[in-house]
Amino acid sequence: MNLAARLRKFPFWSWFWFLVGTLYFVLPLLATFEFSISWDPADPLKAYLRVFEDNDFWETFIYSNLLALATIIVNTILIVPTAYWIRLRVPEARRIVEFITLLPFVVPAIILVFGLIGLYSAPFRVPFTGITLFQPLTTFSFGTNVLIVAGYMVLAMPYMYRSVDTGLRTVDVRTLTEAAQSLGANWFTIITKVILPNVRAALLSGALLTFAIVVGEVTLASFLGVDAFGPYLFLLGQHRAYEPAALSFFSFLLTWVAMGLIQLFTGGQGQAAGAH
Amino acid sequence: MTHLSLTSVSKRFGEFVAVRDFNLDVKQGEFVSFLGPSGCGKTTTLRMIAGFENPTSGSIRIHGQDITQRPPNQRHVGMVFQSYALFPNMTVADNVAFGLRVRKEKDAAIKQRVDEMLGIINMREKANSYPYQLSGGQMQRVALARALAIRPEVLLLDEPLSALDAKIRVSLRAEIRSIQQKLGITTIYVTHDQEEALSLSDRIVVMNVGEMDQVGTPFEIYNFPKTKFVANFVGTLNTAVAEITDPSDGKLSVDGVPLLTAEKMEGLQKGDQVMIAIRPERFSFAEEQKKANVVDCRIENITFLGAVVRIQVLIGNTKFNMDTFNNPFLELPKIGDMDKVTFSKEAVLILGQANGYAN
Amino acid sequence: MTSTALEAPQVSPKVKAPFTGWQKWIGVIPFFLFALFFLILPSARILTGSFYDASGQFTLHNYQELFTVPTIVNAYKLSIQISAVTAVGGGILGFLLAYAVTVGGLPKSLRSILITFSGVASNFAGVPLAFAFVATLGRVGFLTTLLKDVFGIDIYSAGFNLYTFVGLALVYTYFQFPLMVLIMAPALDGLKREWREAAENLGASTFQYWSRVAMPVLLPSILGAMILLFGNAFGAYATAYALTGGRLEIVTIQIGAQIRGDVFHNPGLGYALAMGMVIIMAVSLAAYSWLQSKAEKWLK
Repeated sequence: MNLAARLRKFPFWSWFWFLVGTLYFVLPLLATFEFSISWDPADPLKAYLRVFEDNDFWETFIYSNLLALATIIVNTILIVPTAYWIRLRVPEARRIVEFITLLPFVVPAIILVFGLIGLYSAPFRVPFTGITLFQPLTTFSFGTNVLIVAGYMVLAMPYMYRSVDTGLRTVDVRTLTEAAQSLGANWFTIITKVILPNVRAALLSGALLTFAIVVGEVTLASFLGVDAFGPYLFLLGQHRAYEPAALSFFSFLLTWVAMGLIQLFTGGQGQAAGAH
Repeated sequence: MTHLSLTSVSKRFGEFVAVRDFNLDVKQGEFVSFLGPSGCGKTTTLRMIAGFENPTSGSIRIHGQDITQRPPNQRHVGMVFQSYALFPNMTVADNVAFGLRVRKEKDAAIKQRVDEMLGIINMREKANSYPYQLSGGQMQRVALARALAIRPEVLLLDEPLSALDAKIRVSLRAEIRSIQQKLGITTIYVTHDQEEALSLSDRIVVMNVGEMDQVGTPFEIYNFPKTKFVANFVGTLNTAVAEITDPSDGKLSVDGVPLLTAEKMEGLQKGDQVMIAIRPERFSFAEEQKKANVVDCRIENITFLGAVVRIQVLIGNTKFNMDTFNNPFLELPKIGDMDKVTFSKEAVLILGQANGYAN
Repeated sequence: MTSTALEAPQVSPKVKAPFTGWQKWIGVIPFFLFALFFLILPSARILTGSFYDASGQFTLHNYQELFTVPTIVNAYKLSIQISAVTAVGGGILGFLLAYAVTVGGLPKSLRSILITFSGVASNFAGVPLAFAFVATLGRVGFLTTLLKDVFGIDIYSAGFNLYTFVGLALVYTYFQFPLMVLIMAPALDGLKREWREAAENLGASTFQYWSRVAMPVLLPSILGAMILLFGNAFGAYATAYALTGGRLEIVTIQIGAQIRGDVFHNPGLGYALAMGMVIIMAVSLAAYSWLQSKAEKWLK
């Protein structure tokens, strides 16, 4: 092919839009990084060091990670058996459960927290009876922790469920179970040796996504009065200039690691948790 | 007169040679099949005619005009794809009308032409259906109508029936052939199914790893294969190596077993090794009638195929397949039995020198 | 020879227990209970609360006020505007990017880079994103000073302000267009190569192929994705709050204000405001589902 033909085949517009997209992605990150190292020209990492010396940072960051961990664990315990049970025994429940996994889109964080506070800031009474189930959750710290983990579970649930469900579908869980049963395996063996290994990738990507959602989450945390990383970062932004930039860049790196790992484990499409 | 001609067409993908020195002249209205296994280059050659691949060298002409460098949307050939490729967002009628609309023909003319084409494929009542509502066979007929609607110079079909059920394949290929003959349109048909190629074509091009092994009528290809590949690929032709014992009298021997052939042995001498072939249906058991050749054999295997019973017999050290019609009242021999089979002199074909056959 | 396959070895009784009838629903009860307590009932609380006025009487008046109270009407208008603008703008940019790395002829390696980045960027919302944009386009932001020093363009004196509608739109777009990329890349993969070849074979130019075949086939996916983007932006709170501190009165910000302190002096109105948003989101979701099913029908 001569030069003219080669030029004609060159995808000019594709490269153009790719460059535009890259610029849009990169500029804010570049700006943040540049700002974060410009506090003291002699000591570019000053902002980062200050942040990592701050006790509040560590407290809130660790706390958020613990919340994420709790969310992942309880979600796994809740979702994996449910998804498995539905595939195996109650296929009719699929529609309802899938509908439920769509609800968090309709009820985003701000609305969810509105409802949670509205419901649980008063003693929980069963309607049409006088029975009080429990005291207002929002008034004591354990209750608040329950609420926020539950809230995070709701936010992460659609991705977790869909991930696990796809994983189970891909390995045709029903046939595997029947094969295992006919070979004499009991339930425990089936779950640990047959099911869990096959949904490992799905669980990992669901877990990583949960981390990405929870650690930076602000809406639920601030309205429920929880000392999480998100509110800390926001507060920092009110008073300080360089540290918030450093933390934002740090937060970006964390998200990048989480998503990169997901790519690695799923080898594919990438997952989106959307805005918050 | 030559309508479509390919001259020294070759196609390379980097180091890999997909098609090597392809030469063919097709007459107006002729139906030519490209037959061969996957990877033999038949689809690549077809796509070069359509313009989706450019030949590395060589030229393609229609009516004498060189179209080798023309982009695919200016060649005026109609192509039917293996996966039908119907536009999912359009009805059957809109699909068929597509080529005409793109040429900005008048609405009335388009309507009439579409109706005519739907009539030819017998699907007028499905004019407003969408592809996802049709069966595979129906979709393929629409694809055919769509390609023919633009009155193409040449019709190209890329394994159009391989995605369909066996029964539909048989009825649809008959339909394709009758439409093609009625319209008199030059057609190139790519397939790996030799039965299709044999039953449809005026001529067949048998291809093997990018090369043309043989070009000829179905009769020629089946009865006089020029290479071992063609012999093996097309039909079940028994082949064996034989030694000439007496060229003036048509005598030769296979593994020491003497045979007679009606073939002239010009240019051959005693001791020459040749490739012979005998069609399975020419054998019969010697109890019924005796023909020129009567040989001892051992029954190796019996396969019941329905209308045909295929018996594998050992003559000398060579196995031959013998096909007889199924007869519920005929007692078949058992495996291991010794028996006698007979066949005429004319049934023994000489294909050529034994060492001339590439494996 | 006895057929051992017919008699499965006896396993633990639980396997053989007949979980038919209503008993089979036992396994899904935990999930349903969880959803009930932490998703459905809170939503129900909002729904029921929206029907009561400040004095505790049942009323439909709150919903009426959604259309009459100026601040509320304005809030919805703003939210719809910013969601629509970023859905369309982000949608177009995302589509063009997805096109570039699928059908558009860029090297395959660029596609996986783009997908990874899109995964990151679509999750990188909230407070850090707001700060990142302040560092970029704030009064002394990176880009602002770059444009001023190198090109002599002072965007702030020209009227630009990051902490307004336009600024928020730019920030939202940052996570909108990657989401579009993630949705459209697989959809574009669904465009069969044979369709293009068949169209060319029948005489169509590239433009005719796109306008008559490819775009119509992709349209349900594109529209569905944009609607998803719309909902995505509509429900965002933290990003807007971190950027504008509540100055831009979109619906989510107003709800936040209402949660913090009953600014409407009427809890029911706050709940109605939230329900209005839920209805908009539900309609978006329904439209998206319908378009998805249409797209799947064609692209199967």
